[in-house]
Amino acid sequence: MTDTPRETQVLGAVVSLVDTLLVDFDVVDLLTELTEQCVELLDTAAAGFLLADPMQKLRLLAATSERARELELFQLQADEGPCVECYSTGQPISVANLAAERDRWPHFVSAAVEAGFASVHAVPMRAAGVVLGALGLFGSRPGELNTADLLVAQTLAHIACVAILQERAPTPATVMPQLRSALTSRVVVEQAKGYLRESLDVSVDDAFQLLRTYARTHHRHLTEVARRLMTEPASRPDILAAISELAYG
Amino acid sequence: MAIADHLLEAVDGRRGVDAADSLCEACVILLDIDAAAISLIFDGAAAGTLGSSGAPARAYDELQFTLGEGPCLDSVASRAPVVVVDLADPDDRRWPAFGPALLAQNIRGVYAMPVVLAGEYVGALDLFRKHPGDLDGDCLAGAIAAAEIAGIPLLDLLDADLQAAANDPTSNAWAELNALSRVEVSQATGMLVAQLNVDPAEALVRLRAHAYATGRSATDVARDILDRRLTLDAD
Repeated sequence: MTDTPRETQVLGAVVSLVDTLLVDFDVVDLLTELTEQCVELLDTAAAGFLLADPMQKLRLLAATSERARELELFQLQADEGPCVECYSTGQPISVANLAAERDRWPHFVSAAVEAGFASVHAVPMRAAGVVLGALGLFGSRPGELNTADLLVAQTLAHIACVAILQERAPTPATVMPQLRSALTSRVVVEQAKGYLRESLDVSVDDAFQLLRTYARTHHRHLTEVARRLMTEPASRPDILAAISELAYG
Repeated sequence: MAIADHLLEAVDGRRGVDAADSLCEACVILLDIDAAAISLIFDGAAAGTLGSSGAPARAYDELQFTLGEGPCLDSVASRAPVVVVDLADPDDRRWPAFGPALLAQNIRGVYAMPVVLAGEYVGALDLFRKHPGDLDGDCLAGAIAAAEIAGIPLLDLLDADLQAAANDPTSNAWAELNALSRVEVSQATGMLVAQLNVDPAEALVRLRAHAYATGRSATDVARDILDRRLTLDAD
């Protein structure tokens, strides 16, 4: 634990994230970093960004943990759970005691409790009057987010929206293609994780960390590295050799 | 019922070119446009029309491959929608050959949404309209949904054997889109790319074909691949 007051920590995080927005950045990478900041600043155990796809179903764009069980919790929210409700109403939701909501979200609650979570929260992501998706937060202890927590969560969700829509001022006509493009980036990153798992015999979780580290140290976008791995067979040997070096030294 | 639901209904129980044609016909009925076609580009060279709302749509669409310019080519190259609100606008010189050729057919507005397969931008849904102007919000949302759905008939087309899918009257596009959007499926696709030395689209086709052949969900097959309980044979 650190003695730095939380206001200072929050401001530090916001400054660092907005700095990133002002230079060239990768949307999946930045949003993964945002989820990590959520966990640090909000006393939660896991966080993830869910975006609406063209069929208005929520899909996972980034999460703190790549562990299968936690990914499943975010993916379950395509059908039910706080993020779906938050997305459809546009309002934040804070559930202090998850176990009491079994009737409301039967599948989601049993999976979340089994994964060791006690509370769950969601704040909306919105731009141009359109709800884009939701930021989902899981706590390992019961308890609501207080007003200050909600404000921090909403600030981080706003930064995520700006990151996704940064190319131009959003209108309803431009928002949807950009959401779709961001989700497609995620598909390619997932493929690259599988590719590295198979090629280097590492876990999917480790594969993601290796891919991020490689992209950062080579000043390349995560998505661009993933796309090259998946669509340019000629680029693979060099990238694999460098990532293998990172993995095994 | 939302436009997206009607579009899904148009492809349910159909496969391949039949589903693509039906999707294009539904676009003409549901969106404020006069003709629709789904065209594909592979490796930037081989290209063609997968489905269309009818003979005129097919003719407009094929013209872009004859002339080497047009909405599908631009949409794939930019990985973004392409919108020309009025081909008759003298300031719009995007397509010096394709533009006048379509104007001669009384087409003024052209709108293209990229079609994405296994993360690759492989084609576009091309919409043509006789009157100029932007698509309104509902039409635009519908066009993007239709481009998303178009990935399903495309997978059929790439699956040469079509396995059990060929005569599956219960095929449900909604369920399939959901299954294929899951992270396990993308991760397993990446593993197959390494195992089989194929491109991601081919890997996804193989995963899906295995799911059909064994009567299991794509997600279950993907998990088995990820946990190394299942390997698919190279051809």
